[in-house]
Amino acid sequence: MIEINNLVKRYGDKKAVKGISFTVNDGEVLGFLGPNGAGKTTTMNIITGYLSSTSGTVKVNGHDILEEPELAKKEIGYLPENPPLYNDMTVKEYLNFICDLKGVEKARRKNMLDNIVSMVKISDVYDRLIGNLSKGYKQRVGIAQALVGNPSILILDEPTVGLDPNQIIEIRRLIKALSKNHSIVISSHILSEIQEIADRVVIINRGKIAAVDTISDLSKRLSGQSKILLTFRGPVTDAVTKIRTVKGVSSAVSRVANKFSQIEITISANDTSETRIAIFNLMVREGWPILELRSLDPSLEEIFLNITSGKGGVKS
Amino acid sequence: MDKTINSENIKHQDIRSHKLKQYSIGSVILLVCIVIVVNFLLDRIFGKALTFDFSDYNQNSISKETEDYLDSLPADTRIRIIAFFDRPDNVSGTPYQYILPLLDDYVRKSDGKVSVEYINPLTHPTIISELDPANAHDLSSHTDSLVVEYNGKIKVISPIDCYSFNVDYYYQTGDYLVTGNNTEYVFTNTMNTLTQGYSCKAYIVTGLKEDGSVYLKQILESMSFDCGEIPVSDNFAVPEDCDVIVLNGPNNDIPEKVYVALSDYIKKGGKLLVSINFSMKNVADGFERLNKLLNQMNVNIDSALISENNPGYQLNGYSQDSAVIVTDSFKDYSNISLLHSTNARSIRAISNPESAYKIYPVLVTSPNASTYNIDKTGNAIENSLVDNKQFNVAVLTENEETGSAAYIFGTLNFTSDEYISSYGLNDSNVDFLKSCVRDLTSSKQLNALNIATKNVDDFSIRTSHATSSSSTAVLVAFMIVIPVAFVALAVIVYSKRKNL
Amino acid sequence: MTAFFKREFLSYFRSPVGYVAIALFSFLSGFIFYSQFASGSVDIASEVISLRSFFVIIVPIITMGLLSEDKKRGTDILYYTTPVNLFNVVIGKALAAFALYAVMFVNVIIHIIVTLICGGKFGVGSVGAVIVFFFMAFMFISIGLFASAITDNQIISAIVAFIFILISQLLSTIAQYAGTAVVSILGIMKIKNAEPIGRAFNTTISWLDPFEKTKDFRLGLFSVSALFFLFSIGLLFLYFTFRILEKKRWSQA
Repeated sequence: MIEINNLVKRYGDKKAVKGISFTVNDGEVLGFLGPNGAGKTTTMNIITGYLSSTSGTVKVNGHDILEEPELAKKEIGYLPENPPLYNDMTVKEYLNFICDLKGVEKARRKNMLDNIVSMVKISDVYDRLIGNLSKGYKQRVGIAQALVGNPSILILDEPTVGLDPNQIIEIRRLIKALSKNHSIVISSHILSEIQEIADRVVIINRGKIAAVDTISDLSKRLSGQSKILLTFRGPVTDAVTKIRTVKGVSSAVSRVANKFSQIEITISANDTSETRIAIFNLMVREGWPILELRSLDPSLEEIFLNITSGKGGVKS
Repeated sequence: MDKTINSENIKHQDIRSHKLKQYSIGSVILLVCIVIVVNFLLDRIFGKALTFDFSDYNQNSISKETEDYLDSLPADTRIRIIAFFDRPDNVSGTPYQYILPLLDDYVRKSDGKVSVEYINPLTHPTIISELDPANAHDLSSHTDSLVVEYNGKIKVISPIDCYSFNVDYYYQTGDYLVTGNNTEYVFTNTMNTLTQGYSCKAYIVTGLKEDGSVYLKQILESMSFDCGEIPVSDNFAVPEDCDVIVLNGPNNDIPEKVYVALSDYIKKGGKLLVSINFSMKNVADGFERLNKLLNQMNVNIDSALISENNPGYQLNGYSQDSAVIVTDSFKDYSNISLLHSTNARSIRAISNPESAYKIYPVLVTSPNASTYNIDKTGNAIENSLVDNKQFNVAVLTENEETGSAAYIFGTLNFTSDEYISSYGLNDSNVDFLKSCVRDLTSSKQLNALNIATKNVDDFSIRTSHATSSSSTAVLVAFMIVIPVAFVALAVIVYSKRKNL
Repeated sequence: MTAFFKREFLSYFRSPVGYVAIALFSFLSGFIFYSQFASGSVDIASEVISLRSFFVIIVPIITMGLLSEDKKRGTDILYYTTPVNLFNVVIGKALAAFALYAVMFVNVIIHIIVTLICGGKFGVGSVGAVIVFFFMAFMFISIGLFASAITDNQIISAIVAFIFILISQLLSTIAQYAGTAVVSILGIMKIKNAEPIGRAFNTTISWLDPFEKTKDFRLGLFSVSALFFLFSIGLLFLYFTFRILEKKRWSQA
C-alpha cells in the first residue's frame, strides 16, 4: 500500500507537481494517466526515492521513503521510463547484479531468477548481451529487474512506449499476469491502454490530479464524448449539412484533406457505433465513396477539458 | 485560497531542501577543515615520532653512539649545520641521498641542539662572511658543501667526505664506486671535535711520492687528532705541538734534513707512525736514511718481500697476500687474531747495544714464510731467499726513558687510501691501527667517539644474471610479451562479447 | 557495496578498458624494470616510486566511466531506488578501481621475484614504498571518482581527473611560482615583509604536495603521517563524491 500525501516538487521556480495525494491499495492495478509533461515521471521518481519531494510524504507499506528509505525501497520494484540497463552485460550477469544490489540471498537467487525469467519470457536471450537485444526484450529485462527481490509493489513508467503492437500486447499480458501477486502502478499517456489493465485511474494534468476514478465510472463519464473521423469524396457543404442531420450527431467539422478532392469530416456523436452505421447508410444513399470511417478516442487533453470544465467533476 | 497554499509550499520547500543543502555543504566544509587541521597537527606534533627508518642499513638514523654524544652535550649547546645549497626536491640518486635524511634525524633526536639550515650563498652572500669573517676556509668555493658551526668555529664537509669509494676503481675509470657511507661518522666526529676541541696533533710528512692519506686523516680526526702536513723541504722542522709524526707509504727515502730533524725529535721523546710496503715504485730505494733513523730505535726495514708459504695463511692462494698473526701482547687491540697484509716488507729487529729501545713484534707471519730480494726489473735476486722463518710485519719500538716510541708497519694495509677505500672505515685493520695510535699517544686523554660507518644500499644483481642476453629477455618479456598479451586479450574479449 | 564493487571490477574485464590499462601499466613498469636490470642493479623501491608518475595517465582511464556512464545511461537510478546505501555505492566503485590497481601490481611482484632469483635485494625499506604506492593509488582513485561524479561525459571526467592529478603532481612547482608571485604583488603594493609572506605561501602550498610528502619512502623512511595524509584526502574526496550524488535529494535543478 502506498499513501501519497500532498506531494509537491519544484524545479527552481517551476512546479512540476503541485500537491498530489492518492492511495494505492493492496492488490490493485492503478493507472496513472496524464499527457506528456504532466508530472507522471516526477511523481513516480519521488515515490521510488529517486527524487525527493519539495514537500509532502510518501509512505510505502507504512515506511516513509525519506525516513526509512531502505525498508521502503525493498517493497518497490521500479521500471523507469528508460530501463536502467547495462548494455555491456548479459541478461544473466545483469540480473545477478540486481540480486546483489537488492540483497537477495544466494540460496534463493536461482529459484527466483528462474521464475522471473520464465514469467517475462527471456530465457532464450538469457546469455545474450543486453545491448544487442530488441526494444521489446529490453523492456522485459527491465521488468525482470523490477521483479527481483519479490517486491510487493511494482511501479511501471510507460512500459509500452516505443514498442510495436505485438510487443505491446505481450507486455500487457505480462502485466495482467503480474497483477495477481503485486500491487501495480502503471503510467501511460494512452487512455485505452490503462482501460484494459487498470482497476482504478488517477489522471493528472499540469502537476495536479484531474480525476481519481474506477475504470467503469470513467468510461461512463466519458461516453458521449466520442468522435468519428470520416474521409470520402463528394461535395463539402452538402455533406456537412446532411451529416448534421444524422441521429446522434452533435457537430461536424470539415476540411479538405488533399487535392484529390478528398474530404475529412470530424463528427462528434453520443454513440459511435450506431452513428457510424447511420453515416455509412447516408454515404451509400448519396453515392459518395467512403475512404475511411473510424471512431476516434478522445485525446487526454479533451478528457481533461471535459472533466475540468465541470461536466464530470472530481470524484474521490 | 490558492495563494495561501502557494506560499505555504514555498515555506515547506525552503525548510526541507535548505536544510539538506546546508547540512550537505556544512558537512563538506567541516570535514575539509578537520582533515587539514588533523593532518597539520599530526605532521607537526607526531610527524617525526611517527617516521621510521626501514632502510636496510639504517642509513637515515643516527646510531646509539651519536645519540649518547648528543645527550652528553649541555642543553644549551647550539650546533648549526649550514648547507650551501637549496634543499633539493629529490635527493635520491644524488650525493645527498644519505646525508640530508640523516641530518634530519640529528635535528629530530637532538632536542634542539643541532639545527640544519639551507642557505644558498648565491642568494644570501652575507652567510659567507658571517660564518668565516677571516675567509680562512675559502667558503665561496664550496658551493656543494655543508658547514658545521659551533661557537664561531666551523668545519667544512663536502658530500664526498661522507663516502668511502674505491680508489683503484677511480684511478682506472675516473668514476666513483661508493663502498661505504661515512656520513654519520664524519658529522658526529666533526661535531665532537668542534665541541670538545682536539686532544692531539699529528703531522703527516708529505713530498715523498707517497700515495695519499685522505682516509688516514679521517681516522685520526675521528680520534680527535688535528692533522697537519709537513712537506719535505730545506727548512723542514718538527713543530712544537707535534704529538706524532706519520710517514705513510713513502716511495722515496727521506732527505738528510728530515733525517736530522727527526733524529732530534725522537731523542726528545718523539713518536712515529711509519708504514712502508714493497712495491715496484720503491723497490729501487733502500731507504738508507730512514733506516739510519730507525736503527737508532733498533729497527730496520728490509728491502725483502715477504712470501707466505703456509697455504692456510694465504689469501686467494697468493703468497704475497696473506693473513698475519697478531702477537699475544697485542691481542687486546683486535677482536680477531689474524689481520690482512699485502706486499709486506719484513721489519727486522737489530741489536744496537747503545740504544735503550725495546722491540715488540706486533704482527708476524707464520713460521713457514720466506723473503727474497727483488731487483728493479721485478725479478728475484739470486741467492736472496731466506726460508722457513717467522718474519715481523709490524713492530713496536719503545724507549721507556725518553718516552719515544714508534709503530712500524711493513704493509700499507693499515693506512693507505687504496686499502681503506675498498674495505671501509670499519675494517679490522683500521680498528687495529686505531688501537696502536691510541697506545702511541696514551699519555693524552682522548675524547674520541667510536662511530661505525654504514654500508651503502646495494641493489646489484648477480653478474652472472646481468648479461645482455638476460636483459634482452627481460625487455622482451616485460615490455613486449606481457603488454601485447593483454592487448590481445582485450581484442578477444571485446570481439567475443560484442556478438553475444 | 559488494554489488557495485563486483559489477565494476568485472566490467573492467568484460570490456577492453581493464586489459588496456593493465597492458599500459605492464609496459611502463616493464620499461623501468628493464632499464634498471640492464644497468645491473634493481631497486624495487625506486621502481615503485617512479611508477607514481603514471597515475596521471592510468587513473583517469579506469575511473572516468565509473559514475559518469551511469548518469548518461540512466543506470544511476539504481543507486537511489534500490535498498543500497549511497556511500556504499561510492566505496564499492572506488574499491573496484583500487582492486584493478592491485591486479596491475602483479607485474611488480613478478619483477620482485625475478630480482630475487637474480640475486638482487628486496628489503624492508622497499615494502614501505609499496605501501605508499597503494595509499597513493587510493587517493588518486578517489579524485578520479570525484571527477567522474561531476559530469555525465566520460571524456570530460577523464580530463578533469587528469588535470587534478597533474596539479597535485606539480604542487611544489606551483607553490614556488605562487610564492614568487605573491612576493612581487606585495612588493608592488609596497607592503612590508613581502618575502616571509611569500615563503609562507610557498610552504603552505607545498605542504599539500603528496609527492613531496612521500618521496623519502624511496630511501626507506616510513612516515605514518604521510600515509594518513593520503588516506584522509582519499576519504575526503570519496565524501565529496557521495555528497554530489546525494545532491539529487535537495537540488532544485
